[in-house]
Amino acid sequence: MIEALRSLFLASTWRMAWRNVGRNPRRTGIIGSAISIGVGATIFAMAINFGMIFGMVRAAIDTELGHVQVHGIGFEKKPGLEISLDPSRIEEARIEELPGLTGWARRVRHEGLVSSPRAAVGVRVVGVEPGREASVTQIATSIVEGSFLGSERRRVVMGARLARRLKVKPGDKVVVSAQDLAGDLTGEAFRVAGLFETSSRELDESAVYLALDEAQEMLGLGEAISELVLRTTEGADPEALALQLSERLGDGAEVRTWEEMRPTLVAMVAMFDQIGWVLYAAVFVAMAFGIANVLMMSLYERIREVGIMMAIGMRPGRMVAAMLAESILLTTVGVGLGLLIGLGGAELLSEGIDFSRWSDGLTGYGIPTKIIPSVRTGDLRDPVVIAVITAILASLWPALRAARIQPADAIRHV
Amino acid sequence: MLEARAVTKIYETRGVETVALRDVTLTIEAGEFTALAGPSGSGKTTLLNLYGALDVPTRGEILLEGEALHGLSPSELAQRRLQKLGFIFQAYNLIPVLSARENVEFVMELQGVRPAERKERAMGVLGEVGLGDLADKRPLEMSGGQQQRVAVARAIVSEPRVVLADEPTANLDSRTAEGLLDLMHEMNRRHGVTFLFSTHDPMVIEKSQRRVRLRDGQIVADESLAA
Repeated sequence: MIEALRSLFLASTWRMAWRNVGRNPRRTGIIGSAISIGVGATIFAMAINFGMIFGMVRAAIDTELGHVQVHGIGFEKKPGLEISLDPSRIEEARIEELPGLTGWARRVRHEGLVSSPRAAVGVRVVGVEPGREASVTQIATSIVEGSFLGSERRRVVMGARLARRLKVKPGDKVVVSAQDLAGDLTGEAFRVAGLFETSSRELDESAVYLALDEAQEMLGLGEAISELVLRTTEGADPEALALQLSERLGDGAEVRTWEEMRPTLVAMVAMFDQIGWVLYAAVFVAMAFGIANVLMMSLYERIREVGIMMAIGMRPGRMVAAMLAESILLTTVGVGLGLLIGLGGAELLSEGIDFSRWSDGLTGYGIPTKIIPSVRTGDLRDPVVIAVITAILASLWPALRAARIQPADAIRHV
Repeated sequence: MLEARAVTKIYETRGVETVALRDVTLTIEAGEFTALAGPSGSGKTTLLNLYGALDVPTRGEILLEGEALHGLSPSELAQRRLQKLGFIFQAYNLIPVLSARENVEFVMELQGVRPAERKERAMGVLGEVGLGDLADKRPLEMSGGQQQRVAVARAIVSEPRVVLADEPTANLDSRTAEGLLDLMHEMNRRHGVTFLFSTHDPMVIEKSQRRVRLRDGQIVADESLAA
C-alpha cells in the first residue's frame, strides 16, 4: 500500500498511465464520453433545478420577505395589530448603521377587504414607506400598469390578478376596509395608482399596498408598525445581521431571517441537494463499472507486458499505482469534459430559460417564469471529488488482479 | 551464483498434473555463458523462470548468491530480480508506450536512480549496443533485432549479477541473431556478466561455454568447453 501511494507521486507513473490511456483511443473515447456526458448532464440538470429553487428564494426575498424581518413577539404565530413594534426602540437601534445593510423599511400588515363596484376580495393590507420599500423589495419595479405609490395621497397599488377580479384599473376607486386596533370596522376609499405582476400568484391575487402613514391612521395605530424589513448586500450573511439586530433591539422583538420565515424553501434546497446526490450516485455507479471493465480489458490485453514489467522488478504496489493512475486520468479527462459540457450548457442559457407559457402553474408555487441556471462551487467540487474516489474504487479490483499476477504465467501469454 | 537444489516443478491444469522438472540440481557460477538446451517441453524455460524468481518450485530450493528464494514475499522477490537479475525474453520484450531510452531507464527508475544519471547511463548502454541514434524510437518503430538489442541494454544497464535470456534469438533471422549473440558475448567478456540462456537455437548452443541439456525435465548432459 505504501509502495502504491509512493508510486503515485512519481512523474513516470503518470507519464506511462497517460500513454496507456491514449493507446486505445476508441475505447478511451467511449468511456470518456460516457463519463463526460453523464457528469455534464448531471451538472446541467442540477444547474436548472437550482436555478429554479434559487429563483423561488430570490423571488420570495425580492417581492416580500427581504433578508431579515423584525416583528413584535408572537406576531408570526398570531398576527394582529395589537402586536406591534415600538418606533422609539427602532430609532434607538440605529439600524442604518448596521454593516452589510442595503436598505430597510417599516411596514404595517393587516388582514382586510378591498371592494370595487363589481366585487370584494379578502386581502392583505400592507402599509409601506414608498421610498424605503423600493430598497428592500421589487414591488416598485414590478409595476406593469400605472405607477407605484408616490407623493399623491389616498393611493393603492395591487396585483394585476387582483385588479382583474375586482375589475378595476389604474385611476379607479376602491374601498379598503379592516378592523382597527380598537376592534371597530374602518374603511377608506383609495384610487388605484398601479398594478404589479410578480412571480408569486398569491401576492398578485391578495395584497394591497398603501402608504404607511395612511395605513397607521386608518387602523388607529399611531406611530406603531407591524414589521421591519431589512435587505443585506449580495453574499452577506443574513444570520449575522439578524444577530446584531437582536442585540440592538433586545427583548420584545422577534428577529428572523428569510430561512426561518420560509423553512419550506430551505427544505427544498436540501431536497434538491439530495436529488443531486441520487443523480451523481447513478452516474458514478455506471461509471465505476465502465472503468473497471475498461481496465480489466486493458489488463488482459497487456498481460504479457505486465508480466515483463514485474519480471524486471516492478513491485506489486507499483503495479497497483499504475492501474490507479490510469483510472484517475481517464476519469479526470471525462469529468473535465463533463464540467465543460455542464458549465457550457449553463452559460449558453445564462440569459434564462423562458417558461412564461406555464406561468399560471409556476407562479402558483412562487416559481419565476424565467429560470436562470445556477451552478454553485460545490456543484463542481462534489462531482470531481466523488469521481476521483469512484475512479480509485473502480480500479482497485483490476489493480489488485494485476498486482497478483505471476510473472511467469503472464509472460507465457502472447 | 545460482543454485537449483533437487528442484521439482509440477504444473496442474484442470486436475491434470504435468511434471516440468524432476529433481534437478544445477549450479551456475559467476561469469559463465551457459545455454540450457533441449527440445520443447524439456523444462529449460521452467528452470530459467525458477532461477529468475518468476516462479516457485513445487519441491526443492533455488538459491541466488547463497540466499534461498523460498518464502520470500512477491515484493521481496521483485526486489531481488530488480537488484540482481537482468531478463531478456523471446519477443514483445519491451514496454510499447515507452521509447528505447525510457525502456532502458525503466529498470533504473525502479531502482531509484536519479533522472540525470538514468539518462546518461541509458544513452551509454544504448550506444554500446549500437542504438544510440534510435533512443527516442518506440518499440513498434524498430525491427525485431533492434528491439532485442534494447532488451539487452535494459538487462545489463543496472549491472546485474546474472542475465537470464529465454530464447532470445527465436524470432530473429540468423544474421541478426548472430549479431545479438556476439553483443552478449562481448558483455560477458568485458563486464563479466553471467549469461544463462534457455534455447534450442544451435548457434546459441555452439557459442556457449557451458551447455546443459535437458530432456523430460531432467538434466541429461552438462558439458563445459575450455575457455
